[in-house]
Amino acid sequence: MDDVQAAAAGDRSAFQRLYRLHVDRVYGAVFRLAGYDHARAEDITQEAFIRAWQKLSGFRGESAFGTWLYRLAVNVALMDIRSRGADPVTMMDEDDIPDRGETPFCAAERDELERAIGKLPPRARAVLVLHDVEGWRHEEIGAELGMAVGSSKAQLHRARGLLRKVLGEV
Amino acid sequence: MNEFEWLRQTRALREPVSPRRDLWSGIDAALDAAEAPTAAPAPRRLLRQPQNWLIAASFVGLSLFAGSLAVHLRDRTLDNATAVSTDAGRWRPNDPRLAGAAVELDAANMELRQAMEQAPNSPALQRLLYRTQKQQSQLRQMEHQAG
Repeated sequence: MDDVQAAAAGDRSAFQRLYRLHVDRVYGAVFRLAGYDHARAEDITQEAFIRAWQKLSGFRGESAFGTWLYRLAVNVALMDIRSRGADPVTMMDEDDIPDRGETPFCAAERDELERAIGKLPPRARAVLVLHDVEGWRHEEIGAELGMAVGSSKAQLHRARGLLRKVLGEV
Repeated sequence: MNEFEWLRQTRALREPVSPRRDLWSGIDAALDAAEAPTAAPAPRRLLRQPQNWLIAASFVGLSLFAGSLAVHLRDRTLDNATAVSTDAGRWRPNDPRLAGAAVELDAANMELRQAMEQAPNSPALQRLLYRTQKQQSQLRQMEHQAG
């Protein structure tokens, strides 16, 4: 019996080993979605592992455990963002968003980029992090955030525009 | 910079990050707390304890009122000799004023005992039961002195 099966059967020690194995990947994603805020990322990560333990009996092994856990943690982070009621579209000034033809990409140092992403409104940050950093497809983002694929693309465009604006101020 | 270069730059941010502190102890404690009600049925019963407390406390309050009323009427009671009788094993003074207090104290005693079946080690319940029994004893003494 592997650790996943043992944990699903109620073995807390096995679950602790799974925690040790996966916490850095989970925390990394949550940390970025939380705007590089350690305190919030810690809370969300703890909540994610608690939910994972509660839902583990329903894990069917259709994906790797690490992938299942990662998706669950991202979902918890997105729920946290939703619970804060932030909406990047209403927070952004239309004049600050680049036109479709204008390239929204710019080079930046890693620290600068992280700081700028951290300054984005939560929901805009979520779309940008999931697509540009985590590599999610718009279909996945739309499904997770409850929006159409076109809306996800539009929000990414807006988020990149806002990021460029923020990078210009960093 | 084109999109390909941009994505190469942003994807480089996708790295594991270690939390500043070990989060396991908090997770472990939360799981313990969450599982406590299902692991042992006894604590679940304790959740109902406040209701029992309220019931017991209300009966004790009533009995205190009845006891004070009985003390207030004691002098008058002493003039009227009363006989002690038992009803199904319970003590009942013949004087209706003392009988009312006795009924209240009996009920309080019974409620407290039921509450203590669920929380046998509760110091507060033990104190309330002791006080109730003491008042019952005082009532018997008053009855004896009168009779």
